[in-house]
Order: sequence, then structure tokens, then C-alpha cells
Amino acid sequence: MTTSALPVRRASLARDFGASVATILSRELRGRFRGRRAFVVLTIYLAVLALIAYGAYTVQAPHARSLAGGVTDPSGSSTVLTMANASASIGQAIFSLLSVFQLLLVAFITPAFTAGAISLEREKQTLDLLVTTPMRPGAIVVGKLLAALAFMFLMILAAIPVSALVLMYGGATIDDILRQQLILFVTAVGFGVIGVFFSALVRRTQAATVLTYSTVLILVIGTLLAWRFWTQIATNDASNQFAEIRRAPEQLLWINPAVAMIEVVANTELEYGDFTGVMQSIRGDSVTIFPSPVPDKPTGVTTLGGGGPAVISGPIDCPPNARCALPGPAIVQPELVSSHFLLRFVTSFAVLSLVLTLAAMRLVVPAGMRFVFRRRRRAASGAASAEGSPSVQELDA
Amino acid sequence: MTPIIETRGLVKSYDDQLAVAGIDMVVGPGEIFGLVGPNGAGKTTTMKILATLLAPTAGEALVCGIGVTENPIEVRRRIGYMPDFYGVYDDLRVWEYLDFFARCYRVPAARRTAMIGELLEIVGLADKRDAYVEALSRGMRQRLCLAHTLVHDPQLLILDEPASGLDPRARVEMREILRELRGMGKTILVSSHILPELAELCTSVGIIDRGMLLKAGSLEEIERSLRTTALLRIDLLGDGDAVAAAVERLGTMAGVTSVMEVHMPDSQPARLEVGFDGDSAGQARLLAALVAEGHRVSGFSQATSGLEELFLQVTGHDDEEAA
Repeated sequence: MTTSALPVRRASLARDFGASVATILSRELRGRFRGRRAFVVLTIYLAVLALIAYGAYTVQAPHARSLAGGVTDPSGSSTVLTMANASASIGQAIFSLLSVFQLLLVAFITPAFTAGAISLEREKQTLDLLVTTPMRPGAIVVGKLLAALAFMFLMILAAIPVSALVLMYGGATIDDILRQQLILFVTAVGFGVIGVFFSALVRRTQAATVLTYSTVLILVIGTLLAWRFWTQIATNDASNQFAEIRRAPEQLLWINPAVAMIEVVANTELEYGDFTGVMQSIRGDSVTIFPSPVPDKPTGVTTLGGGGPAVISGPIDCPPNARCALPGPAIVQPELVSSHFLLRFVTSFAVLSLVLTLAAMRLVVPAGMRFVFRRRRRAASGAASAEGSPSVQELDA
Repeated sequence: MTPIIETRGLVKSYDDQLAVAGIDMVVGPGEIFGLVGPNGAGKTTTMKILATLLAPTAGEALVCGIGVTENPIEVRRRIGYMPDFYGVYDDLRVWEYLDFFARCYRVPAARRTAMIGELLEIVGLADKRDAYVEALSRGMRQRLCLAHTLVHDPQLLILDEPASGLDPRARVEMREILRELRGMGKTILVSSHILPELAELCTSVGIIDRGMLLKAGSLEEIERSLRTTALLRIDLLGDGDAVAAAVERLGTMAGVTSVMEVHMPDSQPARLEVGFDGDSAGQARLLAALVAEGHRVSGFSQATSGLEELFLQVTGHDDEEAA
């Protein structure tokens, strides 16, 4: 092959691959979006999210009202600010609830969409027809995965306006919403790939579904529990004379979308809230709860609510992550290293998705052909040995 | 000219079981090659190897000169494969189903619509174009599956039991379609465990049993090579003595291996079953001699159809035993 021919061949391979993916995709979408089902599922999904947003508002509104009315501000000058904070507390409540529920819904729905991708073709005996076409097995897997994810993506995208309600109240920025969306997409892709992988691995859709949900549970809840118990056991160890907290390695939690989401939500909390608490217990002493560097001379310290550490409002000397849009003293939000888990989660899920997709591609190759693609002709010796095969004598007998 | 199918010492074993035990086979362009054999003989395995679904344990299989394990993608472009068991996407319409497979083979969009119309015409589903696949009868689905093997105008069709599970009428329809495809110059490898179904359709036949290709060639060739002992059925008019004389005379004739009177002694006509070792010319001579000697022959026929007899002879055991 000449050097100039190589890129041409590559390009045509890529075109073939793309065309095959598009073929599978259009067939799958035809089936999936035909009829009323898709429409009904999407409507229910959005209705549930809207209801959750409304619920968060209803719960938070009285609290916010008392917040706005009941704070004595030492400087006596910032009613506007307290009002803004009260509004932000509503926005933040909506944001945290929506984030958690959307993640749960994505984790719950995605496997149902993907766990049958390949195994249903096997069960319905259509896979043989498909793999005897010249399409690459990889294209079949990618097409099926994209088709399954397409609907998931549609649901996530359609729900963005619900999340955007938050922007009306404050409490979370566009950045926060983008992070939230990123986690939802990456989670959908990762769980989708897990579903397709198991679907290619086992023959039965039922088994693939069970395996996929189990894996999702292990990733979302199992890793947290394991981390928790590990930490508990290590801390309770007899050698630990001063009862210092010995944390399990946080790597366990890198593949947990819930932890990444908790981090995003914690980042929006106005005061030391539940999500911040979870993050602090995970990250331990390394967490910087206060803005860093702490303003040298805070002009005023206001305590909002009891319990947690004080929230500092200082002069506008704002670290990048703080919310300080208003002039005058502003509430500086407790800062975590904002994207620590987010980055690690996205990276590890990307790797996981890639590996499992490649594995699924191998698994779709017809069982008998899987390991022989690169085997070159050993035919001559093979044929010779076949001549003396036992069944010849058997037949004569 | 490159043969369309060529296998050399093809072996496929599952664990310790030999499904295909060294098959050598050559099918030339335009041939309709019928693979005949009892259930479990290795027909499906052989076809799956040729369809690039299974890799042979040993030996070599070439389609249009291309190795099925060396370059499966290129082989797939040249074959249309219809498995013995398969499903259909029942959430698609008939034309969408064919359009989907045409796209799988990257048939240009401009050509697809016209081609789908032609294919539906060939398989007699033109009026079902917009029906859902779900709503088709079994025979129709079978024909649709056959149509799907044709979307990319392949050189070779591999049809595994295309008529299995069909009622007699649908079988006839299927046979008519295959005949039409033969007219279009396709090379076809077709399998069946029912012999007469294939006999008139195929240009050559391979008899396969226990993973071995026992005989291959045109029907006449096989018959000739076997010097078949045919069972002749001769009906005679006349009283007991006349029949007895005929029986005696037959016993002395060349090629006759056995004579048996099968009907009740006094029935008219009397029926004899005669084992005869020889070809059709020999049979004609036998009949001529009987008539010339004044025996009143009212019926003369072969008791078993040629292929079936052949088959039993070659495989040497019954279907049931193998199944």
C-alpha cells in the first residue's frame, strides 16, 4: 500500500462506519419513537421534575420568608442583600432537589433503555441477519448505544428549562447548571454503555437487565457504603489510640456520579448544609470551607441560622468561586475545591465507557468468529489432519 | 473461472463433537447446489461457516475465492444468507425492513426505492409494501427474509431450509421464487432434509451425513455412480398360473435381484415388486421382454423416487436414527 492510499482508505473506513451507525440509528429510532410511548414517557418525566421543583419551593419558601424578615444586620444597610439571600435559598433548594432526582431518574431509566440492545436481537434471532451484513460489529454497537441514549439525551435536554427556574431565584449559577448537566450526560452515557455491554455479554435480556441494575446500584450506593464502612473500621482499629478519623481512599468514590453531583450541589449551598457536610466528611481536613485566602479583616460576620460554621461576608474581594454579584458586603459561600470529584468522575466514566464499548464490540462478533479474525491460513495442515478424523471409521463400522 | 464456493477439508467441532468432518466441495457460477441430509448432518454448520458466522476448526472455505475467516467483510458483500431460524423486526413496515438492510449494504438511496419494488414483486409481496412485518403470515415472512438476501444483488445465496415450516402451497410458492432466481443467474446453495423438494430444482446435489459429504454431483451422475438397485412395481393381468410363469421368468432375467408378489393371490391385477440392478435402459429392456413374451403388463413403475432411494442407500440409515 502506498503512503498516499492509506489516508484515503482510512477516510472511507470512517465513512463506512458512520453510515452504518446512521443506518442502525435510524432503524432503532423508527421503532422507539413510533407511536405514543416516547411522548408519554417524556411528558411524565418532565411533570415529575416540575412537581419536584414546586415541592422544593413550597418547603423552602416559608423558611426563606422568615430569613428575609428576621435577620438583624449589624450595618443595617442591606435589606436588599438579605432579600436576595432569601431568594437564593429557594433557588438553591430547587437546584439541589432537582439535581438529586434527575440523577436518580437517569440512573433508573438508562439501564431499561439499553440492557436489551443486543440481547433482544439475539432473542428475536435477528442478530445473525445483522452480522452477516458488511457492517462492522463496532458500528452496530455504537448505533444501538446512540439510539438508546438519544431518548435519554432528549429527556435530559428537555428538562433544562426546569433546572433553569433556579436562575430566576438565584442560588445557583449557569456554571452550576452546566456542571449538573455534564454529570447527567456522562452518567447516561456510562450507564448506557454498561447496559449495552451486559446485553452483548449475556444471552438473555432479563439477565442483562439484572446485571446492569446491580452494577448501577454498586456504583451509586455500593461505593459510598463501602467507603463508609471502610472508614469506620479503619477508625475503630485498636491501634488508633487517638481516635483520629482514618478515611478510606477516595478513589472508591471517583466512579460514583452521586458524589460528583453532591459536590456540585454543596458548591451552591449558602451555608454549611447537608451536602457540604457530606463532602467535608469525605474530603476531611483538606477541605477549605472558608474562602481561601480568608479576607484579612472581615467587615462584618453574620450568622445565618445556627449549627454550622459562620458564613463570612466580607468586602468584595471575591475568590473566583464565590457569589458576589451585589455591591457592598456579600455572602461568600463556603468553598470546596469545586470540581475535584467532577473531573475525576468524568474522566473515570469516560475510560469505563470506552473500555466497555470496545468489549461490547468484540462480543457482537459472531461467537464462532471471535478469536479467529487474525488467524491466517493454517489450512493445509488442518485439512491433512481432518482426513484421518475418527468419524470416517465410525461411519464404516 | 473461480468457483463461487470452494471448501477444502472443512472441519468444525464443538467440544468433542464433530459437526463437519472434512468436507470438500466446489460449486460453480450459476449452479443450484442442494445440500441434502438428515437433521444434524452438518448442513447448517457448513452454511454458517460459509456465511461467516462460524470459523472452521480446520480446513478452508472460500467464497468467490475469498477466505471466510481471512476477509469476512468482503465475503459478506457477496452473499445473501437466510438462516434456518431467524426473526424479523416486527415494528417496521415491509418496505422499511428491506430499506434497512439495503442501507446496511450501503445501497445508494437513489436505487433503493426502485429495487425494493422489484424485490417485492419477485417474492410476491408487492401489495404488502406498507404493512407491518408483524402482520405477515409465516410464508410471507419467509419470502420477505428471502427478499432481504437479495438487496445487494449478491452472487451467492445461502438458503438454509427456506421451505421449512411452510404449508404445501407456500412451499410451491417458495420453489417458484427459487426457480425465478435461478433464471436470474444466481448461484444458490440450498439445504433441505426433504428430498423431492430439491430434486427438480437443483443442478447438482450433495448428500451429507454425519458431517461428511458422501456424494456430490448432478442427480444423474450420482445415480450412475451408484448403479442403484431400484424397486420396480409391475402389475400383471391374468390368472395365477400366468402370474407364476411371469415370476419364474423374471427370476431368470439379467439384473433382477428379487421378485415378490405383494397382493393377495387372486387380486386383479397382481402386483410384483422386483428388485432390479441396472439403469433406465435396462428397465426398458426388461419391460420389452415381458411384453414380447405375452405377459399382460398393466403397470410398470419404480416404487421409490430416485433421490430418496439414493439417499437411504448413501447414508445407510434412517432419518430417525440420526435425529
